Amino acid sequence: MKKEYRPMALGFWGVAVPLVVFGLLFCRTAAERITVFLSAAIFFLVGTLIRGAKQ
Amino acid sequence: MLGLADWLFIAWYFALSIGIGLYYSKKAGKSISEYFLSGRSLPWWLLGTSMVATSFSADTPLAVSGIVMKDGVSGNWFWWNFMLGGALTILFFAHLWRRAGVMTEVEFIDIRYSGRPAKFLRGFKALYLGVPVSCITFGWVTLAMVKIIQAVFQTNATTAMAVCLGLTIFYTALSGLWGVVATDMLLFGVAMLGSIILAVVSVEKAGGIGAITAAATALSAQTGKDYLSVFPSFGRAVPLAFFVAIFVQWWAVYYPGAEPGGGGWSAQRMLAAKNPRHAVLGTLWFNIAHYVIRPWPWILTALAALVLFPALAGAPAGVQEAAYPKMIAFLPKGIKGIVIASLFAAFMSTIESIVNLSGSFLLNDFYRPFIRKDASERHYVMVSRLLVIAVSLLGAGFSLVLGSVKMGWQILMELSGGIGLVLLLRWYWWRVSAWSEISALTASAAMAVYLRRFPGSPLVGALSSALARAGFKVDAWGVDIILIVAVTTVVWITVTFLTPPDDRDKLLSFYRRVRPGGFWGPVARLNGRSYKLQAWPFLGWGLALLMILCFLFGVGRLVFMDWARGAAFVAAGSAAAVLLSIIIKKIDWEGQ
Repeated sequence: MKKEYRPMALGFWGVAVPLVVFGLLFCRTAAERITVFLSAAIFFLVGTLIRGAKQ
Repeated sequence: MLGLADWLFIAWYFALSIGIGLYYSKKAGKSISEYFLSGRSLPWWLLGTSMVATSFSADTPLAVSGIVMKDGVSGNWFWWNFMLGGALTILFFAHLWRRAGVMTEVEFIDIRYSGRPAKFLRGFKALYLGVPVSCITFGWVTLAMVKIIQAVFQTNATTAMAVCLGLTIFYTALSGLWGVVATDMLLFGVAMLGSIILAVVSVEKAGGIGAITAAATALSAQTGKDYLSVFPSFGRAVPLAFFVAIFVQWWAVYYPGAEPGGGGWSAQRMLAAKNPRHAVLGTLWFNIAHYVIRPWPWILTALAALVLFPALAGAPAGVQEAAYPKMIAFLPKGIKGIVIASLFAAFMSTIESIVNLSGSFLLNDFYRPFIRKDASERHYVMVSRLLVIAVSLLGAGFSLVLGSVKMGWQILMELSGGIGLVLLLRWYWWRVSAWSEISALTASAAMAVYLRRFPGSPLVGALSSALARAGFKVDAWGVDIILIVAVTTVVWITVTFLTPPDDRDKLLSFYRRVRPGGFWGPVARLNGRSYKLQAWPFLGWGLALLMILCFLFGVGRLVFMDWARGAAFVAAGSAAAVLLSIIIKKIDWEGQ
C-alpha cells in the first residue's frame, strides 16, 4: 500500500467496524439494519480499494 | 437526548479525522508546494472526492431540503443549472489549469497578463478572495452549523462550535492540503452515510415511498405546485428565475464551488493533480458525485418531513430548513450519533478547504510577491500556518455578525454576478487583459450595490415590464442578474478594446506553456505553431451533460420505485458514459 494512502484506508475500516456493531445493537427495523450493514460493507470495500491503490 | 453509544461514535469519529490529518503534518512541512498542492501528486479519485466533500457543507442538506419544501423537486434547478458549467470545466478547463502549473488560481494572473495592472489585479484578488470572500463563506457555513447544533441539542452552541472549529483548524494548519484531501475522503463518506441513514428512517417513519408519493400528490393538488416533478410547470408564463438559471447563471456568476471555468478550491485540486488527465477525470468524478450521488437522500428526507408535518409547506424558509436536523429525533439511539457526526463531517470538510485555500492566496499571491520575496521554504510554511489560523479567527468572528446563511451567499453572488464570461474567455482569447478583469469586477460590484440601493429604479422597472410582456413570470433576482451580466459584459468588452493588449512575450510564454486552442491568431503566428480547438471536447461536453442528467433522473426514478423508467435513464446514462470515456481517451490532454 502506498504510504500516503494508509491512514485513509484505516479511517474507512475504522468507521465500518462500529457501523456493524451499532447495526447489531441499535437498529430496530429491517430497513435500518440493511442500510447500516450495506453502508458498513461499502466503507470496508472503499478502505480495501484505497489499500490496493497503485503508486 | 444522546446515549453513551452516540457520544462514543462522535468521539471515535473526531479521533479518526484528527489522527488522519495529523499524520500528514510532517510531509506538509517540507515546502509550500507540499503544503498547498500536495506536491502535485493527487490521483483523480482523491482530488474529485475532496472537491465534492468541500462543496458538501453543513448548510447544503438544509438548503436543498428547504428548496424542496418550498418549490418541490424542480426547485433544485437553482443549483442543478451549474452542471452546464461543471461539464464545460471538465472538457475545456481542467487540463489547462494543470498545464498552467501555477500554485493558485490568483497566480494565473501573473502568467497570463503583463504590467502594473496585472500586479494590481493579483494583489487585489489575493486579498479579496483570501479575506472577505473566505470570511463570508466561512461565516455562513459556521452559522449553519450553529443552527444545526441548536436544533439538535437544544442548547447554546458556542462551546460545541469552539471545540469543533479548534480541532479542525489545528490539524488543517499543521497538515496542509494532504491532510485536507485525506480527511475529505473519510468526511465525505461519513457525511453521505448520515444523509442516507436519515433518509431511510424518515421515509420509513412517513409510511414508505408509496405514502410519500400519495401525500405529495395530494399536497400538489392543494397548493398548485408539483412537488414530485423534476421540471417546473410553466403554465402560461415561463418563470424568469428558471430561465436565468438555465441560460445565464452557470456561465456568468462566480459562486464558490461552481466558478465558470473552475476556480477556488476546485482549481486548487486540479493544480494538485498528478497530470492533466487526472485533473480531467477528478473533475468528472466530482460532477457525478455532486449532482447524482448527493441530492436524493436530502430530497427524500424533505418530502418525508412534508408528509409528517404538512404545515411546513407554507412555513417561512427558516422553519423549512430547520426541519432537516429535527428529523434526527426519529433516529434510534446509537444511530443518532452517526448522523450527528455526519453533519460535523460536512462542516469540517468545507472549513478546512476554505482556510487552506485562503492561506494559499495570502501567502503565494500577497506575502511572497509583495512583502517578503526570497525567504526559505520553511519560513513560508510557517507563515502559511499562521495565515490559516488568522483567517479562521476572522471567519469565526464574521459568523457572529452575519445575519443569515442566505445573506452570505446573496452578497457573494451579487458582487461577482457578471464576471464569468471574462474568466472563461481569458483562456481562449488572446485580447483579454488585466484591464478586462479589473473592469468586469468593478462593473459587477458597482451594479450589485446600485441595485441594492435602488431596487425600484427606472432601469429595473423598464426591464421587468419588457420581460413580463415577453411572457416571463418576473422575479427580482432574475432581473438583477440579467442587468448585472449585461452591464458588466458591455463594460469589460469595451474596456478590452480601448486598452492595449498584453505584452507580446508574456502572451507567447502563456501560449507555449498552456497550449490552449481558440482565438490566439497573432500569438500563434509568433509561435510558429497553432494549437487548435478540437471538436471532441464539444461532443464530450454534450455527453457529460447527458450522462449526469440521465443518472440524476434515473436515480430519482429508482428511489420512487419507478423501475422501468429508472432503468431506462440509467441505461442511457451508461451509454453516454461509455461514449464519453472513448472521447476522453481520444483527446491529447497534454496538448503536445
